Amino acid sequence: MKLYDQIFNVVKQFKKLFSPGPVTNADVSGSITAEIFIIVSLVLSTILLRHVNVLLAALVALIVAIVLISNIPLIPKFKLEQEDSLEKMIFYAIVTLSIIIVFLYWGGNLV
Amino acid sequence: MAQTQLAVLFTSTALIIIGLYSAIFIDNIIKKIIGISFIEEGVNLFIVAIGYKSGGIVPILMPGMDASWFSSNSAYPLPFGLVLTSIVIGASTLAVMLAFVMVLYKRYGTLSTKVMLADTSKKEEYDE
Amino acid sequence: MNELIPLMVIIPIIAALLISAFSKFNTISKILAFVVAICLPVIAIASNYGLHYFGGYEPILDNVTGITYHPAIVYSFTFLQQIFIAATGLLAFLVIFIYLAKYRKVSGPYLFLLFMGTASVTAMLLTDDIFHLFVFFEILALAQVGIVAASSIDYSYEMALKYMILGSIGSPIMLLGIGFLLALTGSVNITDIVYAVHNGLVDSKSPVFLISLGLIFFGWLYASGLPPFHTIKSGIYSKAEPHGAALLQSFTVISMISIVLIMFRIYSSLQIFEVLIVFFSILAMILGVSLALTQTDFRRMIGFLAVGELGFIGLGIGLGTQFSITAGLFQALNEIIITALLFIGFGAIVNATNEVDTRKLGGLLFYHPKVALMLLIGGLAMAGVPPLSGFQSKLMLVQASLNCGYPEISILAIMVSIATFVVFVKTYYSIFLKPKPKDLDVENKQVPKTMIFAMAILLIIVVLFGVYPDVVTNGISNFVGGIL
Repeated sequence: MKLYDQIFNVVKQFKKLFSPGPVTNADVSGSITAEIFIIVSLVLSTILLRHVNVLLAALVALIVAIVLISNIPLIPKFKLEQEDSLEKMIFYAIVTLSIIIVFLYWGGNLV
Repeated sequence: MAQTQLAVLFTSTALIIIGLYSAIFIDNIIKKIIGISFIEEGVNLFIVAIGYKSGGIVPILMPGMDASWFSSNSAYPLPFGLVLTSIVIGASTLAVMLAFVMVLYKRYGTLSTKVMLADTSKKEEYDE
Repeated sequence: MNELIPLMVIIPIIAALLISAFSKFNTISKILAFVVAICLPVIAIASNYGLHYFGGYEPILDNVTGITYHPAIVYSFTFLQQIFIAATGLLAFLVIFIYLAKYRKVSGPYLFLLFMGTASVTAMLLTDDIFHLFVFFEILALAQVGIVAASSIDYSYEMALKYMILGSIGSPIMLLGIGFLLALTGSVNITDIVYAVHNGLVDSKSPVFLISLGLIFFGWLYASGLPPFHTIKSGIYSKAEPHGAALLQSFTVISMISIVLIMFRIYSSLQIFEVLIVFFSILAMILGVSLALTQTDFRRMIGFLAVGELGFIGLGIGLGTQFSITAGLFQALNEIIITALLFIGFGAIVNATNEVDTRKLGGLLFYHPKVALMLLIGGLAMAGVPPLSGFQSKLMLVQASLNCGYPEISILAIMVSIATFVVFVKTYYSIFLKPKPKDLDVENKQVPKTMIFAMAILLIIVVLFGVYPDVVTNGISNFVGGIL
């Protein structure tokens, strides 16, 4: 029952996503598809870690799956983080730059 | 005089980091653009510093110079050529950015990035 | 006819300057633009393969060390360059044709931007000099900004300024990476750099070499619009005129592959390079397609789809085998054609209804059956339905990832294809099939014949590549064998 309520709330939250304007069937079904797609594809891509260590992959896949499913709806959060404002774009660009540099400097020879 | 080269490299690093800082934290769009052009200048300075040679001579082969002496004593000329091009590109980019800011300032009446360059999809009025 | 190689870049630049200078004379600039636009694909097809040394400075052999140096800029022209330059040239011709037919009074500066962008991507493909590539990369960024700002869509200036500000972070970072390489090897010629790296003159484990990879990689992310730049890239597609967006996405794809091929030649000995590319490609596929599913503006939706499809190209190159790189490059070629078809087709809808919100559209199948049919085939090709070209390249990619021992990537690629299809069907339904809203005005508005013509040409290519993929893949495979 709890999961059902949660999914029902998801649909309600999509309304805010498409404001201003009406919400159509196609939009809601598209958003639910996106929701499922994100969860499945992220979990699937964590399986790639098995080439590093099988146990690590299982652990990470489990954690990612639990975190993602308990946090639905994800799409409003995803969309909020990837909106068009310059602030967020620059922030993520520079964070990515620093992650790439740090990763290459300290981990470049480990892979 | 390796210290000269080291000092220049430090300066260029500082310029790049100041530029990245201002790109995130400064709200005024003109200040932000000035800050971002710091990145460009820092990179130019870095490339100039590559070609530096302590005690080197100007890389122009004058008549009467011995070619092997020249090649072992002259500074490396390629970075200077590259930087010249890069400065021109940087200046034109800066000019275009400031032109956009002029137009947008007239439209919004403010220089705040949060107002001027916010998410546009929310701004549109939906007429029912 | 090796003399034609530099002309591929010089002719569009001269045309751009002339048209911009004589924009007062409307007929002359129209004729000039049309003639030069026709020439663009023809030169690429007529030219012979080979190398061109600018200024006639041929490579110098150092007798002491036995190393060959390239003192001047070198253009190398092979089958890969030929096919991509011809594709861009054809697309530029179609876009300019649509533009010339649409407006009675043409704008010289706008044509200048279109030609300048085409010249830049041509130079980026041809060049064997990493700084030369950077210069044309910057010119391309300025041209893209101009094309976006020239459109009459709301908030195009804001989007253009955002793109420029992000660009002025991305490009200097890439230049810094080039500076690191210059410091390590003392050269900006890629063949020289590759020689130095592969023959142990440069320590490939040194942090400087690794960081130069990181910096150039960041510039590549900006050039190709992979995350974190996917929002701005799809944004500029949605704010440009539809035919402009069709050309913009081809610029993006070509700058992506030309930079990544150079990175591949230099850094392929590093394992981490392939890890990075695969990581960002998967991220682009997931984020691009899932965000496309939630859009209501269909131009933005196609923009996100275009970004998501870029992930397939990256995947092919990241896997690093001859077969997978061939698949990735073939996918790049298909994507240029198919996405252009979709942009032009949906642009025709904007033209006919002045509406971009899928919620306010509907029932257009009755009014524009030709556009609807061609868009349907284009969408099927993008999703990878046989016998269209998207199917061939995606099948190759799936096979390649299976061969490399990554079945997860194959499953992911198939899932992304399915989600792409969902996005397309959803949009297609809400534009063409669902009942027409009462307040939508579609009477007396025709789709320009030039747009139909352009779509038909692109569609023929899509079907042709779908039925005879060997025409292209054999040549690309030979090229890839040369750089591995």
